[in-house]
Amino acid sequence: MTQAMALIDGNNFYAACEQNLNPSLSGRPVVVLSNNDGCIVARSPEARGLGISMGQPYFKVRHELKRLGVVVCSSNYALYGDMSHRLMSLLEKHCEQLEVYSIDEAFAQIHRPHDWDLRPWARQLRALIHQNIGLPIAIGIGSSKVQAKLANHIAKTISIHAGVFDLDITKNQDFWLKTIEIENVWGIGRQMARWCRMKGINTAQQLRDMPSNELHAKFGVRGIRLQNELRGKICLPLKMIPPPKQQTCVSRSFSRPVTSLKELHQVVSSHVIRASEKLRKQKQRAGAITVFTRTSPFSKPFYKQSATTQLNIPSNDTSVLLKASLGLTKQIFQPYHLLIKAGVLMQKLQSTDHLQSSLLDPYNSEDRQRRERLMKTIDKLNEHYGNGTMSWAAGALKQGWEMRHERMSSAMTTQTTRIPIVHS
Amino acid sequence: MNFPKPLAPLRENRPQLFIPLAIECVSAGFPSPADDYINSGIDLNEELIHNPTSTFFLRVSGHSMSNAGIQDGDLLVVDRSLNPHPGHIVIAVLDGAFTLKRLALKNETLYLEADHPNYPPIELWQYEDVQIWGVAVHSIHHLNSIATSK
Repeated sequence: MTQAMALIDGNNFYAACEQNLNPSLSGRPVVVLSNNDGCIVARSPEARGLGISMGQPYFKVRHELKRLGVVVCSSNYALYGDMSHRLMSLLEKHCEQLEVYSIDEAFAQIHRPHDWDLRPWARQLRALIHQNIGLPIAIGIGSSKVQAKLANHIAKTISIHAGVFDLDITKNQDFWLKTIEIENVWGIGRQMARWCRMKGINTAQQLRDMPSNELHAKFGVRGIRLQNELRGKICLPLKMIPPPKQQTCVSRSFSRPVTSLKELHQVVSSHVIRASEKLRKQKQRAGAITVFTRTSPFSKPFYKQSATTQLNIPSNDTSVLLKASLGLTKQIFQPYHLLIKAGVLMQKLQSTDHLQSSLLDPYNSEDRQRRERLMKTIDKLNEHYGNGTMSWAAGALKQGWEMRHERMSSAMTTQTTRIPIVHS
Repeated sequence: MNFPKPLAPLRENRPQLFIPLAIECVSAGFPSPADDYINSGIDLNEELIHNPTSTFFLRVSGHSMSNAGIQDGDLLVVDRSLNPHPGHIVIAVLDGAFTLKRLALKNETLYLEADHPNYPPIELWQYEDVQIWGVAVHSIHHLNSIATSK
């Protein structure tokens, strides 16, 4: 029995989510913008066909998109998160072992059948996902993660493979590896790719076959690992349980610049509220908190500043963290700068399972339990009735602060007031 | 505008709301002999949703399925994992919109039929691009819809 590695991912995931639950978009060119309506982060195949490229700033292509009749959507993470959750739970059911790698990608380890051919399994899985949640996926199969990633790339770019490609079963592996530009090898990094190019190593096949000692001399274990993975030896095993997060960050760009301390306080506070919520969800407490802000990288003079404080007792209590952030915000603020981004970073995280009690603890255990119950109640209310149902006045945002998402579709799968209409 | 309360998102580990089958009144003295038998409740999620990952909700607009018991404003529970068969009430994508009809097979031709004489059946082959998006499994109808209408 031989193990194979597969990389399964959603094609144009965000755009596909939008099209799937809004049939008026199917067959039409759709692009999805990043947070704050910044740049294009997803394109439907129709939009791709029009020659619209990834990463373009929205303001630059706005008129062109309008002229071409492209539907523009702000990112709707409530929807994508729900669809991602559905996708991953289906994959978990149908793969032996799964590592969820990102919102729309997962590595799976599977046994090869006696005839070695995993394509029937892959085709079935693809059909099943499409029927159950309406999303197209691509499946690349190889012996290692790097191979699986390359196979996935081939499955997606060459239409005759219909979204499934197995690098291990193809007779002309060399041919396919030759078609992969060195920069497209997963995990190579800019530096290694540039070095390879300089040495005349331009494709995945050349990297696989080059002398290992040269790679080792230049990049050490990292280089060898990559080459071995390309040769089909597993060096990057599945990470089944994600390691607990070491830090949690909440940051946003503003729809218009912030210039006063009062406004910065409000913005930072709303981030702290959100970050504390995240901590509680992750069952963690923060031992230190950092607040940062900056102007636009293009503004002159450019200004950026951050400040950190340690907490005597690690906490995930919004009130405690808000108090700590107040002083930090004061430290980083300077007038006359057009600040466009601010954030908070919760650091030195530890699990709520082991709490060191401290003599400095201002709360006795009864108080502490009461506070915990309060946080739990607030989280439940917000989860049930929508974010911001109950919050702290410090973070109450005035209209016009929040992120720009002028063209966001609604939470079609997660709120009853927003579900799509069917005509009868 | 006054929105009704949003529900919690649909999840694998969905919240369970148990309505106990029987509640014993508190009586001083001896414990109720029935207490030991109250070990389950009715979870409506479990009753209405068999495949959470492939279940979606849609809101009905229109009257063409009223004879099938599906009224304007009802909440439809749609399971995409089911294979559509003639006789099923299905959600089809026609001309860029969701349409609710009954799938029917007559003389080896597939139709989408309304349960209402005013709406003629639609022959599927006449459409270049038609998709059966999902199979409707429940329609949740509010009985006092006038009193509590949106």
